[in-house]
Amino acid sequence: MRSDSEQLPSGQLGRLLRVGAVGVGAALLLSFPAMAPNPYYLSAGIVVLSYAVLATSWNFVGGLTGYISLGHGALAGLGGYGTALLVTKAGLPSFVALFGAALLVALLAIPLGFAALRVRGASFVIVSIALVLILLLVFQSWASLTGGSRGLVVLRPFPGLLRPEHHRVFFFLYAALLAAALIAWWLIDRSRFGLGLKAIREDEDKAEALGTPTLSYKLIVFVVSAAFTGLGGGLYALWFGDLDPVFQFSILTGAYMVLMALLGGVRHLFGPLLGALIVGVGLEYFKVEYGSTPLHLVGSGLLLGVVVMFMPDGVIPAVSHAVRRLRGAADSSIREVTAAELAEQRRPAEPEEARR
Amino acid sequence: MPSTALIFQSLILGILLGGLYALLAAGLTLYFGIMRVVMIAHSAFLILAAYLAWHFHARLGLDPLLSMLVTVPLFFGAGVATQRLLLARLRPATLTMMSVLLTFAIALVIEGLLGYVFTGTQRRIRLDYGAASLEFFGARIAVVKLIAFGMAAVALLGLYLLMKHTRFGWALRATIQHGDAARLIGIDTERVAGYGFGLGLATAAVGGTALSLDSTIYPSLHWHWIGPLMAIIVVGGLGSVPGAAIAAMTLGLAQSLLQLPLGATWAQTIFYIALFATLAVRPQGFFGGRLAQRF
Repeated sequence: MRSDSEQLPSGQLGRLLRVGAVGVGAALLLSFPAMAPNPYYLSAGIVVLSYAVLATSWNFVGGLTGYISLGHGALAGLGGYGTALLVTKAGLPSFVALFGAALLVALLAIPLGFAALRVRGASFVIVSIALVLILLLVFQSWASLTGGSRGLVVLRPFPGLLRPEHHRVFFFLYAALLAAALIAWWLIDRSRFGLGLKAIREDEDKAEALGTPTLSYKLIVFVVSAAFTGLGGGLYALWFGDLDPVFQFSILTGAYMVLMALLGGVRHLFGPLLGALIVGVGLEYFKVEYGSTPLHLVGSGLLLGVVVMFMPDGVIPAVSHAVRRLRGAADSSIREVTAAELAEQRRPAEPEEARR
Repeated sequence: MPSTALIFQSLILGILLGGLYALLAAGLTLYFGIMRVVMIAHSAFLILAAYLAWHFHARLGLDPLLSMLVTVPLFFGAGVATQRLLLARLRPATLTMMSVLLTFAIALVIEGLLGYVFTGTQRRIRLDYGAASLEFFGARIAVVKLIAFGMAAVALLGLYLLMKHTRFGWALRATIQHGDAARLIGIDTERVAGYGFGLGLATAAVGGTALSLDSTIYPSLHWHWIGPLMAIIVVGGLGSVPGAAIAAMTLGLAQSLLQLPLGATWAQTIFYIALFATLAVRPQGFFGGRLAQRF
């Protein structure tokens, strides 16, 4: 058994290393616009960042409560259309519209979450998929409001900027939103509220029996997740400037969020970000190399299948587990003991118990 | 106000459509009963079967109905393989969520491969009897729709007889009702579960062939089917075959009748409205038994 004085420095060192790594990562991220060789790379970087924002927002529900939503693409689409409509129809300033739309999405998430979260697992997934399908139907058919399949054009928030400058500004806006989402997730993860959510993830019946208000906890975190997703979708509308229901309410967007978060590791703060980097860069590369063939569906499907079958906890736990095994399993918090060893350990204690 | 003849016509078309929904929903209900799996890929296999029927007709010059001789056994095997090789290997604790993702992944792969092999072009089977129709008390019913309904009805009846009157059916129902008890009395539940999945996927083969007779098909069509089908099994109560059949008929009729005042696109929303209303009012569905209570 190690003493506390021995453990403390290694804990501090670990924390220092972790803070350092986050600092280096942030610095690399922020210097990307200066290093990008041309505007295309910058715009691809924005796409990857927007995936990271969406996957991190998804992870409020998926990671903390274990409820897998395939419908978060619809919330992003609503954020995008909400922002666009508030700008074009109500004449609001761009960023007021962005936050207004996110607020509306959060409000809408209350009845949605109430219908979806009262029931366990299977029905929740069904509702989340149905949400995408019904919104696609409505936004395509209601052409007088949404422009239907012709699309909806949003005015740029900064009309004076040239395209590369425009990209650069939005890159930093996305980075700020990502930071906000990460900080919010980190705070919830460490709080008592987060503990309740994780109890729901591990065993909802037991959590409820121990007095966790499961429905309101799930509802609150669903609304927070919807708000961040709405912000991500709205920012996309302001950046891209042209919305089409087929892409805004695509079941694929939601599937990508799930894939990215699972691939990175849903239990880790930076898991979805890591997954977004891998999948997002892969998708952009695929688009450049092979154009738009239906094979990207096959690729995404296979990757999702492999992750679900072999790495349901994600890359981060898989890698850290491998590292730990290389270093020797001494510092694992969960000790692996065989039943025989356990019996051996208990043997001297038992006669004493019997004597009492 | 549409004329009475038009309403009568919609009524009949609604019943014919409801039959197909009922067959497909029965497959989904089987999967759910056997291992609490929501099989997103069910409708992707449906479209795959429709494409194979189209291929039989357009490329080999055979009647699309003959394609069932190949697709039904093929899909049965694919169902057994999916259950035994993929779904049964997931962790039991997270099975419901992870199986959704896994079957979703299968759906994506099928859609992508269909798009790659057959291209995204819309396909339609042109049959010599495709334009023929029957007069029935003033309503005109296309012969192909009747054939499709007949196939669905025969398949459903076969499924019913199999479940109620064969030893395999008893074993399957025992597995669904109480897996542990079924194992105790000597049923090889794992093998039965695999065959159950095969049976479910075989309904998709029959349904897909029926669908191909009078529908235009394209690779992403399966999203238009999985939504209504999932709504049906929730409204009917997850895991209940009669519930799914009643919900399928009711919603199929409602969709068909609503098409008159609202048009085809808006009429589809009835499924989602029914889904949300059911979950808000009666989350276990309207005909669900013990199984549905906890989902």
